[in-house]
Amino acid sequence: MKLLIIEDEPLLLGEIENYMAEHGFLCEHATTFSSAQEKIMLYHYDAVVLDITLPDGNGLELLKQLKRRGSEAGVLIVSAKDSLHDKLTGLNLGADDYITKPFHLEELNARINALIRRKSYHGHEVMQVDDALHIDTAAKVASVNGQELTLTKKEYELLLYFVVNRKRMLSHQSIAEHLWGDSYDMTDNYNFVYLQIKNLRKKLTSATGHDYIKTVYGMGYKWATP
Amino acid sequence: MTLLQKTTRLYVAATALILLLAGFALFLILQASVRDEMEEELALQAELIAEDLAAGEHSHIPLTTIVEVPPEAATRKRVFGDTLVYDQVQRSAEDYYYYTDVHPVNGRFFKITVMDAYMGWSQYYTTILVVFLLMGLLLGIAGAAINYFLTRTIWHPFFENLRRLQGFSVSAAAPLQLHDTGIREFSELKEVLEEMATRSRQEYRALREFTENASHEIQTPLAIIRSKLDRLAQYPMSEEMSEHIVHAKVGVDRLTRMNKNLLLLAKLDNRAFQDIQPVDFSAVVQEHVDLMGELFAMRGILLEVDLMPVELAAQQYLSGVLVSNLLSNALRYTPQDGMATATLSAGGFTVTNSGEPLDFPPGQLFDRFKRSHARPETTGLGLAIVFEICRMHAWVPDYGYEEGQHRFTIRFR
Repeated sequence: MKLLIIEDEPLLLGEIENYMAEHGFLCEHATTFSSAQEKIMLYHYDAVVLDITLPDGNGLELLKQLKRRGSEAGVLIVSAKDSLHDKLTGLNLGADDYITKPFHLEELNARINALIRRKSYHGHEVMQVDDALHIDTAAKVASVNGQELTLTKKEYELLLYFVVNRKRMLSHQSIAEHLWGDSYDMTDNYNFVYLQIKNLRKKLTSATGHDYIKTVYGMGYKWATP
Repeated sequence: MTLLQKTTRLYVAATALILLLAGFALFLILQASVRDEMEEELALQAELIAEDLAAGEHSHIPLTTIVEVPPEAATRKRVFGDTLVYDQVQRSAEDYYYYTDVHPVNGRFFKITVMDAYMGWSQYYTTILVVFLLMGLLLGIAGAAINYFLTRTIWHPFFENLRRLQGFSVSAAAPLQLHDTGIREFSELKEVLEEMATRSRQEYRALREFTENASHEIQTPLAIIRSKLDRLAQYPMSEEMSEHIVHAKVGVDRLTRMNKNLLLLAKLDNRAFQDIQPVDFSAVVQEHVDLMGELFAMRGILLEVDLMPVELAAQQYLSGVLVSNLLSNALRYTPQDGMATATLSAGGFTVTNSGEPLDFPPGQLFDRFKRSHARPETTGLGLAIVFEICRMHAWVPDYGYEEGQHRFTIRFR
């Protein structure tokens, strides 16, 4: 998968690039409007992460150019402005998703994966996590050795979040925000995360005989492939 | 005391003093001139009587006494004075003025006393007093009438402007507009006030914009800190180290939430949300109840929901924020195994939850950064946002605590 990251803040860009590369993406980056424009003209990408405030131009203009060229790339807008107006404008111009700074890299990764699944496979993808565990992202069903797992909506989302971000430890905050959105202040309620994890872990363990979710004491959880 | 009362009071005092002094002066002047005139007249009478005596005739002027005095006692001595004489007709004592002189007539000496009736000085007093009291009364009535007239006409624009000033707020949509009175002092005041209001509005707007920009600028560094902390957390480390990182993350999360809420408040202050449209409020509530239902359930809180279909002219996004803030507030402050309700009717939206009473005055509940001492980790902005959203929609937020239940009601108009 080829990914173009357009972000003018070098430290953040470095982190995004690092994270996405770790999860199997071929990353390229641009820090200015003009260099981004050049890359869009010359190459083909599966997905573009687009910061709309660039030092020498507006990212929305790049989005227009992409769409004018008939690009199939999925576009995720990154903005420091939590602005409904910008969001709607971006989505109307053909962006696939919108994320507001500051975000968790896991969330960014999950969003990019989701939009690539929608774009590239037209919603039909069965992720083969390992020999036993498969996830059908179109039907939103996980199965172990062909046997469907009965997961709640939240448990399914949690499983997918783990699988997509399997190289990294996931913090409580990141999981809570992914499952319930960032509109609720969840800091005092990591029990909710714990309960969801406990249920998912129980179901996975009883179906596979293997504990996929490793607890990192005090910090969060990590996907552990057997 | 109003300005009018103050000026009236001074005016009345000055008038009374002037009337008093004028009355007194008038009395003295009248007294002096009347006395002079009477003395001249009496002296002339005495002279005429003396001439008659010299001619051997006897005058028949009433109330005149002529007594011969021995030469050795005949020191010429003119005496004027007041006396009372009994009037047989009116049967009362009358005021008289008398004059006594000793005249030499053909070598003999006669003491001649003449008298004249006059209106007593006390009657002068009374007359002057009555006239001046009447004058004072008329002046008072005229003053009151003029003041009434002034209040009705000249002061009217002033009071109207005062009313507008009272209603003025730097955050109001419309600039301050005052009546022109056509009176120089008021016009100057109007200009100064309008200029001050304009300047305040500009500064307030600049401040609001600054807040919004500052919040935006903070987002990118926050994103860097958060991603770096996430990265750090991936390395194998000691328990002590991981604890530090977790604490740092908690701080960053708190800052993130705070900043997000401040940004929303700044936008509400800046009136960034203008797209009012019909909103299915019951659907908004249902959506958040669905999202949060399991959070309540996980804490063993019974959440009773009673929703009537309600459609309102509102801002869609903010309606969601309001509902979610009220529900998460209820979730946070309801003890384990407590109970909460969410009720929607055409009149309003009510959220109640069981719990301990507030540890601060309820009047501060909707203030920014006001939070329970027991929960210092919250931003204290959730209810302030609810308040601002209500204000924007002209809804009325209300809070009450009865029988161990917190009750938040948003009354729609």
